Amino acid sequence: MARPREILSRNPGAAVGVALLAAILLLAVFADLLYPGDPWRMAARPNLPPFSPGYLFGTDMLGRDLAAGIAHGARVTLLIASAVTGLAVAFGVAVGAVAGYFGGRVDDVAMRFTEFFQTIPSFLLTVVIVAIVAPSLTSIILAIAVVSWPQIARVVRAEVLSLAGQDFVRAARVGGLSTPRIIWGHVLPNVLSPVIVAASLMTATVILIESGISFLGLGNRDFVSWGYLLGTGRTAFRVNWWLSTIPGVAIFLTVLSLNLVGDGLNDWLNPRSSGRGKRA
Amino acid sequence: MSRFLPSFALSVALSLSAWSSASAQTAGGTLNLIVQPEPPTVNVGVNRLGPTTYVGNKIYEGLLTYSADLKPVPRLAESWTVSDDGLVYTFNLRRNVKWHDGEPFTAKDVVFSFEKFLPALQARSRLNLAEVKEIATPDDHTVVFTLKAAFPAFIFVHNTAVLPAHLYEGVTDFRNAEANTKFVGTGPFKFAEWKKGSFIHLVKNPDYWGDGKPYLDDIFFHVIPDANSRAIAFETGKVDVLRAGDVENFDIRRLAELDSVELTEAGWEILQPVGYIHLNNRHKPLDDLRVRQAIAHAIDRQFIIDTIFAGFGHETNGPLSRLSQFKDTAVETKYEYDPAKANALLDEAGLKPDANGVRFEVQLVPLPYGELWQRQAEYTREALAAVGITVNLVATDVPGWFKRLTSFDYDLGQNFVYTTADPAVGISYAYTTIEGDNAGTTGGNVNGYSNAEVDRLLAEAGHENDAEKRRTLYSQAQKIISAEVPQIWTHDIVFPTLYREKVRNLITSGLGTDENFADVWLAK
Amino acid sequence: MMDRLGFLTGRAARAILILFGVIVLNFVLLRVAPGDPASVLAGDQGAADPAFVEELRRDLGLDRSIPAQLWVYTKSLAQLDFGQSYREQRPVVGIIAERLPATLILTLTAFGFALAAGISLGSMAARHAGSLLDTVLTSVSVMFFAMPLFWIGLMAILLFSVWLGWLPSYGMATVGADLSGLSYVADIASHLLLPALTLGLFYMAIYMRVTRASVLDVLDRDFVRTARAKGLKPGLIWRRHVLRNALLPIITFASLQAGHLIGGSILIETVFAWPGIGRLAFDALMQRDYNLLLAIFFITSAIVVGINLVADILYVAADPRIELGA
Repeated sequence: MARPREILSRNPGAAVGVALLAAILLLAVFADLLYPGDPWRMAARPNLPPFSPGYLFGTDMLGRDLAAGIAHGARVTLLIASAVTGLAVAFGVAVGAVAGYFGGRVDDVAMRFTEFFQTIPSFLLTVVIVAIVAPSLTSIILAIAVVSWPQIARVVRAEVLSLAGQDFVRAARVGGLSTPRIIWGHVLPNVLSPVIVAASLMTATVILIESGISFLGLGNRDFVSWGYLLGTGRTAFRVNWWLSTIPGVAIFLTVLSLNLVGDGLNDWLNPRSSGRGKRA
Repeated sequence: MSRFLPSFALSVALSLSAWSSASAQTAGGTLNLIVQPEPPTVNVGVNRLGPTTYVGNKIYEGLLTYSADLKPVPRLAESWTVSDDGLVYTFNLRRNVKWHDGEPFTAKDVVFSFEKFLPALQARSRLNLAEVKEIATPDDHTVVFTLKAAFPAFIFVHNTAVLPAHLYEGVTDFRNAEANTKFVGTGPFKFAEWKKGSFIHLVKNPDYWGDGKPYLDDIFFHVIPDANSRAIAFETGKVDVLRAGDVENFDIRRLAELDSVELTEAGWEILQPVGYIHLNNRHKPLDDLRVRQAIAHAIDRQFIIDTIFAGFGHETNGPLSRLSQFKDTAVETKYEYDPAKANALLDEAGLKPDANGVRFEVQLVPLPYGELWQRQAEYTREALAAVGITVNLVATDVPGWFKRLTSFDYDLGQNFVYTTADPAVGISYAYTTIEGDNAGTTGGNVNGYSNAEVDRLLAEAGHENDAEKRRTLYSQAQKIISAEVPQIWTHDIVFPTLYREKVRNLITSGLGTDENFADVWLAK
Repeated sequence: MMDRLGFLTGRAARAILILFGVIVLNFVLLRVAPGDPASVLAGDQGAADPAFVEELRRDLGLDRSIPAQLWVYTKSLAQLDFGQSYREQRPVVGIIAERLPATLILTLTAFGFALAAGISLGSMAARHAGSLLDTVLTSVSVMFFAMPLFWIGLMAILLFSVWLGWLPSYGMATVGADLSGLSYVADIASHLLLPALTLGLFYMAIYMRVTRASVLDVLDRDFVRTARAKGLKPGLIWRRHVLRNALLPIITFASLQAGHLIGGSILIETVFAWPGIGRLAFDALMQRDYNLLLAIFFITSAIVVGINLVADILYVAADPRIELGA
């Protein structure tokens, strides 16, 4: 495997992605220092445009500072994205590994279960869950996780299927290792790379789904995510364009950086598929 | 022959005068409106939700309509008399009126609608019917209502639609009747087409009883689910009228600046909308008067009007709208924006702030009708936090909001209510004591307010025939209700209407755009 | 041949099982929701009459227990009776039939555009992998994938409808215009352009990426090298060997996306006032019109299952070497 620095120099896109992501993470971490207190309190005159003195991104109709909202929103958005990804990966890996390793009837059942969640119109299901259970941090995270895990399960299953037939696994079996040990210690570590790639791309999708839910009016008012900012600013678009444009740009940059990082990871971990290996 | 001549001459004279004033109007043209959300039906007998009446009131008519100064105006009833004791209402129906399917309109239809159809499907109509002792039809064009007791508000219930009895022969299940979707009325416009998700098309009724009317050839109601798209539709000339709620108030201000666009605040004199923040009187500590007063002083309602509603609204301190004939501002308690006073009152009530400055926590259920109500909810949260009350906003949609408010499952609840032309058929429901845990609808006593004296005053005033006595009773009731502040009256709502300058006579009565549009015409 | 038939019936049986699961899941979810159709229909009637709302509830059959209601629903479903819409008091099948074509026109056009553009641009990127063209194409695809769909839609409307005035800003056809034949088709086409393009660009990005990866993978394989060594013309190699094999994973991937396309049209339908079933489902949810919402889930899932079945057949037909296992 090539060293990270080599990858970054060969793949400028990944470099940009990493830099962007780092910047956003820093913003999220230091949000409290930059904008202490409740970001969404009415601190200023309403409807100030961007670059007004003291208010880099302007204010909304209630005089709330958009820059503070973006900084704290970074936290919330990334929190939602990572929580969903974490849950989806945990569940997806479990189901996919079990299906791929045991095969046969177990695989059948697991795959039917997975297919079920992929057949339902997923965005619609998310909207239904959020609307029914009432929008809260927990319900939004769960609702998006519910429709996201199948992708991971499929990837994991495919990898585990091919691995399960290989010699080193057979050797471990013959050697008397318990099944959980085999799966955990031998199979899963090799599944890691496609999962990481899939997870990084999923994080991006989650952010887009969350903003879509807020657009439809189902966002939660108690925490300020970028999707929520985008949603509330939308109807004011013609008078206060910055209220939805700036969160939109923030979402775009984050999703972009995650995609670039995901691609970079793919390059690093699966050099053949990038086309940057040798050509015949 | 001699008996006919004077009336003939009279009708000629009348039509000539109508014609001379009508020479200003031009016939023809298509009016483009927006209806949102798309109504479940346009049969206003089946329901009276806003979008349904907007469309349906052009197809169906009632006996009366009402002017901007709350006077009844003839519609399907040509004239009427009320007995001195207020017990007998005699309506003389217009002759030569036809239903859209050609059948003649008669007293039978009026009785059918009032006595059978509407009470089966609409709660309000049931209450109206309960006031009536008997209905008589001495002939095909006269209907006589005899009430159980004087009920002056009765004159205000007759803009409800009259439905064609002949389509419901032998029908007992009105809710599921097939005839409900036939959309046959007496109005100036006939139902032509409904492309679900896209538009509703009405066409001119050539046999309409009003001479020369309607002027318009067609009306299209466009269905556009997104607020931005609605604003763009108006800007690009696809749509001629925007009602409040179609776009946010600040967008209305922006669009009013465009060329040949007019803005009006008229047209809501009958419905009289008022904004509320309900306070659940059954929950502690909101059952303490001082706490409610404190909340009233902690919220800057002028800020809400100016900043959130873009100036469309008026201050109010009591249960009635400024448009009500019984409004008595002199007896109301004024609640100025005064956080210091609010803090003092809360201290007095024994609710001291803890280490974090929090006195107590409440849940606020916002009105899920649009962004401005969300902003108001967020502002309320800020304002109350400043006096030590932590407000948690409950995220919910319309059915959830409805359920919570009507089952007392809330502390603070946002709402707006059409208080309507007469308190007896309007706000009385909101302040009369109810037993049990179900307020019925969001126009009912959602606060759980209970005051025996107010109950007595409202009940008496509802059936008091003498106008002055009624006024005194309602003033007394307003005084008590205002002083006890069972809820916050955030503002007397103004619903602006935007329209292209070429649309004339858009608003000619107290019902505004909910009128039948027989008088509307388009200038070239 | 018998193998294949068995395989297909197996698939069909599983499909029905999936559909049943959909119903139960959603039915239970929906009953958990606060408020019900009666609350919505009672709406702002403004009069305090709890008895009235209760009566409405009884009329609509909402006062029975959940298992009872589920049993009634399942029974009627077995007879393919999806019930009545609470709100409109008519069979939900009719309502869906009115709105489904609009969504299909939108998503199939977007899908077709996304596939065509995605495959051609993705192959182009793969053939010139590592070059500037590749970088540009990949960047563009990533950018389109990163933008919130409704935001692109709003920008597109502002640009093309408000500022340039070239295209209509909402709806599927010009309201009130009594067109027929070619002009009717042209009218719909002009309304279709923006929403289909917006939806299509997003998915094009995905297909571009998948195509590129798949083509690169195939280009590297032995049989391609063999073909080249044999001296076959590049064009022939491309069409018969590379593309045919690269398309297989793309087909699978695209069929997996089918569910997203149909259910995901709701955002576009909202922004562009496109009268499809995505928006219909959302409205049904907001109005607690359970029968309508469930029927939409059912029909959408059925379409997805159908697409998957077709994809499976295509896959098997394209490559007889593939085993017909689970």
